[in-house]
Amino acid sequence: MKYFGLQSQIRKNNLNSVLLLIMFPVVFLGLSWLFFFIFSMSTQENVMNLNDVNRSFISTIPWITAGVGIWFLIAYFSHAAIINTATSSRPLERKDDKRVYNLVENLCISCGMQMPRINIIDDDSLNAFASGIDPKTYTVSLSKGIIEKLSDDELEAVIAHELTHIRNRDVRLLIISIVFVGIFAFITEMLFRSLRFGRLGRGKKEGAGILIALLLALLGYLLASLFRFALSRKREFLADAGSAELTRRPLSLASALRKVSADPTIEAVKRKDVAQMFIENPREEEGKSSFSFANLFSTHPPVEKRIQLLEQY
Amino acid sequence: MGIMLILLGLLAVVVLWAISLYNRLVRLRNGREQAFADVDVQLRQRHDLIPQLVEAVRGYMVHERGTLTEITEARANAMKATSINEKIAAETRLSTALDGLRVQVEAYPDLKASQNFLDLQNEISDVENKIAAARRFFNSATKELNVATELFPSNLIATLFNFKREPMFELGENRATIEEPPQIKFQ
Repeated sequence: MKYFGLQSQIRKNNLNSVLLLIMFPVVFLGLSWLFFFIFSMSTQENVMNLNDVNRSFISTIPWITAGVGIWFLIAYFSHAAIINTATSSRPLERKDDKRVYNLVENLCISCGMQMPRINIIDDDSLNAFASGIDPKTYTVSLSKGIIEKLSDDELEAVIAHELTHIRNRDVRLLIISIVFVGIFAFITEMLFRSLRFGRLGRGKKEGAGILIALLLALLGYLLASLFRFALSRKREFLADAGSAELTRRPLSLASALRKVSADPTIEAVKRKDVAQMFIENPREEEGKSSFSFANLFSTHPPVEKRIQLLEQY
Repeated sequence: MGIMLILLGLLAVVVLWAISLYNRLVRLRNGREQAFADVDVQLRQRHDLIPQLVEAVRGYMVHERGTLTEITEARANAMKATSINEKIAAETRLSTALDGLRVQVEAYPDLKASQNFLDLQNEISDVENKIAAARRFFNSATKELNVATELFPSNLIATLFNFKREPMFELGENRATIEEPPQIKFQ
């Protein structure tokens, strides 16, 4: 098993984030041009008037740009709150739990990173995930269960794993891609809804509407699977390696993983609202939006494999 | 004419390359200083706690005045130090003095039972954990700088602009032996 370095992973993630951000408006404008093109094709039987298409396309550019901008602004400012509500977590102060706070703070000091916020999920399951897009919003969320049931060493290893996701910029790429995919889901739904209420008119127009809605939906799914590919399992191994490097105790993470995977009360965070807000299909996408220990079974590589790797250090 | 242009181009490439090496060294040196700032924050916390500790201990420890004065002096010394390397030396002395106290406290059960002392000790060990964490980060930054000053080709630039190998922040040798529980042998 080959690890690739943290630095190259950071560079790759940053590049991907920027690419996503650039790709977003481009894809969007391309789609809206396509929309007008198909629309005019279906309304004007014989003459294809590209000028008309272009004119109406250009007139909508500012609207589309503004819409996309607003979507990102909303997502930027509220994603933390949305995740918090959905996972029913609350911030943790130093005085609430000195042990957990110190573990996080010491780990951050030892790698020279700014301390993220700590959130507690009111849940007895063993669960932890990282979220956020910039140093101000980076958050490590830990469930009550994981805090109580793991030893200091094990908990430190788990926290180090999540911190590595933050340092890798995995979380930022993840949130951006969720926001990205989310807007397609949103628009597709809007289109289908307005079709259902017949606001797009009858006959050919409706046909174009349906076609475009389907196209958008298809694209959304395509992107979703692309992102899933990008957010591959490799980064879990990398985060494990980062955790081992930070704590110098790979065996602690191995035993934490054993406990997490053996715990019968494991249950996924109920992120349905987040999922519905951002993602196409909550059931299918579950676990993609967080680096959750509880979702090991969906997006994370097999635990045995990870433990085996950790123990061969 | 053509050859001149090629030579000029080559020269430009070499100069740009040298500049990037130099910038990397500067970045690494600044990184080390930045890392030390993190250590310094924690060291100052320890300085703040020491007078309280000495005060709490003074009443109990009648025979070890020497240790206490050594701690007080080492602290004053450490607070006076200005450059990173001076601070490292002064703080190492202070750590050694505190370790000495830790050993002697074992002989005073009353002191070990005092709540005030226990609280202080907890706080100091808290701070010392943080110092250890910050030290790790500082040492890895120092190592990166040292490697860059010694590896070819950046060592050429390093000697030219007086980038030196810098010391790490290690604790005294006796640290490890003190952290081990005392071995008692019955023969």
